[in-house]
Amino acid sequence: MVAPLVRGTGLTKVYGDLTALNEVNFSVMPGEVRALIGSNGAGKSTLIKILTGAITPTRGTVEIGGEIAPFGDPKEMIRRGVACIYQHSNLAPTMSVLDNIFLGRQPTRYLGLVDTRAQLKEAQALLEKHEIDLDLKAPVGELPTVKQKEVEIMKALALNARVILMDEPTGWLAASEVTKLHATVRMLKSRGVGIVYISHVLDEIFAVCDTMTILRDARVVAENTVAEANREWVVNVMVGEKLARESAQAAHEKRRPRGTGEIRLKADRLTKRGVFEDVSFELYAGEILCITGLIGSKRTEMVRTLFGSDRFDSGTLEIEGKSVSFAGPDQAMSCGVGFVPEDRHREGLMLDMTVTENLAMAMLDRFRRGILLDRAGMTDSGRRAIKALSISPPDGRRPVKLLSGGNQQKVLVGKWLSRSPRILILDEPTVGVDVGAKAEIYAILRREREIGAAVLVVSSDLEEVMTIADRIGVMVSGRLISIHDADTVQMDAIVREIGGGA
Amino acid sequence: MSNVGTIDIPRFARWAGPNALPIAIAAMFLTFAIIEPAFLKPENLIGIVRQVSLIGIMAVCTTFVIMTGGVDLSVGPVLAIAGLVSYFCLQAAMPLPVVILAGLSVGALVGALNGATIAFLRLPPIIVTLAALSIVRGSALILGGPEQHLIRNEPAYSFVGAGSIFGLPFPIFIFAFVAIVMILIQWRTPIGLLVAAIGDNERAAYLSGHRTRLTITLVYVISGLGAALAGIVQSSQVHTALATYGPFGTELDVIAAVVLGGTSIMGGNGSIARTLLGVFFLGIANNGMNILNVPIDMQLIAKGAIIVIALALAARRV
Repeated sequence: MVAPLVRGTGLTKVYGDLTALNEVNFSVMPGEVRALIGSNGAGKSTLIKILTGAITPTRGTVEIGGEIAPFGDPKEMIRRGVACIYQHSNLAPTMSVLDNIFLGRQPTRYLGLVDTRAQLKEAQALLEKHEIDLDLKAPVGELPTVKQKEVEIMKALALNARVILMDEPTGWLAASEVTKLHATVRMLKSRGVGIVYISHVLDEIFAVCDTMTILRDARVVAENTVAEANREWVVNVMVGEKLARESAQAAHEKRRPRGTGEIRLKADRLTKRGVFEDVSFELYAGEILCITGLIGSKRTEMVRTLFGSDRFDSGTLEIEGKSVSFAGPDQAMSCGVGFVPEDRHREGLMLDMTVTENLAMAMLDRFRRGILLDRAGMTDSGRRAIKALSISPPDGRRPVKLLSGGNQQKVLVGKWLSRSPRILILDEPTVGVDVGAKAEIYAILRREREIGAAVLVVSSDLEEVMTIADRIGVMVSGRLISIHDADTVQMDAIVREIGGGA
Repeated sequence: MSNVGTIDIPRFARWAGPNALPIAIAAMFLTFAIIEPAFLKPENLIGIVRQVSLIGIMAVCTTFVIMTGGVDLSVGPVLAIAGLVSYFCLQAAMPLPVVILAGLSVGALVGALNGATIAFLRLPPIIVTLAALSIVRGSALILGGPEQHLIRNEPAYSFVGAGSIFGLPFPIFIFAFVAIVMILIQWRTPIGLLVAAIGDNERAAYLSGHRTRLTITLVYVISGLGAALAGIVQSSQVHTALATYGPFGTELDVIAAVVLGGTSIMGGNGSIARTLLGVFFLGIANNGMNILNVPIDMQLIAKGAIIVIALALAARRV
């Protein structure tokens, strides 16, 4: 019997009271293309990070080629033949293909000069061996995206990679380019390289993978060969009985497509050239409209224009019947729009500032007394918000960075609630948040809907979408291709649309 | 990290870290007082405060700039050109308020140009204000030429820098007034909170509906105003306006005071009250070394070393 290239046993990663990975066993054989499937937060990226040496698991072992590998040492993992290709390119765009392949480990001659000739020879030999066609002198930034992926693959092969992890490798590729990439994957497979293929697009998995491992709630819930699996089975296993139960429950609970019937926001053929096109929809008071789709389907870019932090090129936007064109978030806010950005660390919170200050950040105008700031009023209002949102620990003077992810997220959502927004837009409101806090955030959103706010949620997490949406919109490559009433649509229909309308 | 002798370094550092500056000031004060009792004479103590007034005004006014993650290198030439503008206004026999306003507006103008370039064109503050340093110095030389301009028979103007009330030099009152106003702005107005927010996370402040670029422009205006005020006080104090006042190194003293006060050079955390401590720390060190007749070359080396050591300690605290 052939030994696996990589075998993880009992891998467990605990962050505080959040278990990101729970007793996971995982292996890849030579020449195997194994799909790693799961919704956001299921543990995929934690597993990848362990395999690349980026993090150290709480428990468990990883064997590479039969030897136990040390953890938390990315260099060592690369040396042992594990390479990773990420969705976002890690190449230096202005440097040539050749320089990128050898970046950081150029063969040198005397005086430490780079031995260009040796590089060229080695690279050409690799290209020939793997029948890859690349112009070694071309600057990487000028190549089409799929070629850039090939450069990354070449880079991995030059390091003698025996296992290549591909994390959403087709996120930025056009359909024809996906086919090309898959041809490269098959070539690698025929050379005995093991591949871990991570994708949200089931079509791709059925096209190129041999086997699959499905993660849910930090555990492996199923392993199967692609030949024996079908879409419905995969989706059901991926989202789990819990969702099946919850969506049954939610079906009893009244969904409210189009809420009170009052149109709060109307987008008509909104277009930002090269980004999204002809996006038209209406958002009603008293409903939650979820827009889902793949990462890279330009949902974030689209909703940013509704908040005025980005601008659209053409089309019209009406808020409560009035045509608007926001030059900045302050103008959107004066029309009653609130926006919770996706990345709470980079765009949402002032991490070194206190909970009270962060909660007040979007409504400093309320605490203005002439030219002075009403700090006492801020503290009072902070205390009320902390209680209403059950932020823990309930201490307004604590810097936000010391809170758990879920509580940080509650602060981020909470800072808009005190403004009583008439339109609340949230971009991936529960990323990196544990199950308990998720439920609390859903309750907050439902409460806002009950008091008549129009809520627009961008989410890649289908479980989330099926749980909270009154209506579901699907965006594919910059187009809003459909909007469904959540009480009548089937999840597999949504999955099919997300995966390219196939 | 490791234990040295019986002192638990981490715990000691945790206690001493936030209080390091007051402790250092007290220690230095005692040392100088013991070695040279003349240090404690009231004239000397008042002298220290008078000496630090100029750097102090500028440091207090530029703390916001550094809190937003920026820096203002142009304070020296702004100081010089503000003195010159005031001199020429005096020559034109304008009334005192106009003279002072004119001097201040040059500072505000340079600050506004710096700030707008940084905030709206997104250029790095160090480059923009370095260019401003050169441009403003050149402009000052065009305006004033190489010669000293004596300010004679202007009692009202001379009072600003050379007068005294209750035996205390008037610049001390100006310094105190500016410091109090800036501390109030920091703790009692929305601007103070917004400056900290921008330093912490500019993008998040923008997405919270704040006009961050306007605020960034404003902090450079404040910095320019501070430098111009210092220039007016100085020209009045020494009865002279000169294009080369505020020589190379002025900006370093100002930044050093702010950074010694614990304001992060990367932006975010910062306190004007603590900048005052930084100002006095440098002032006492200068004065003490003068009294002890430490040669100027050694003083410069000592000052540099103190700054690096203080920053190294601050970095460990994070």
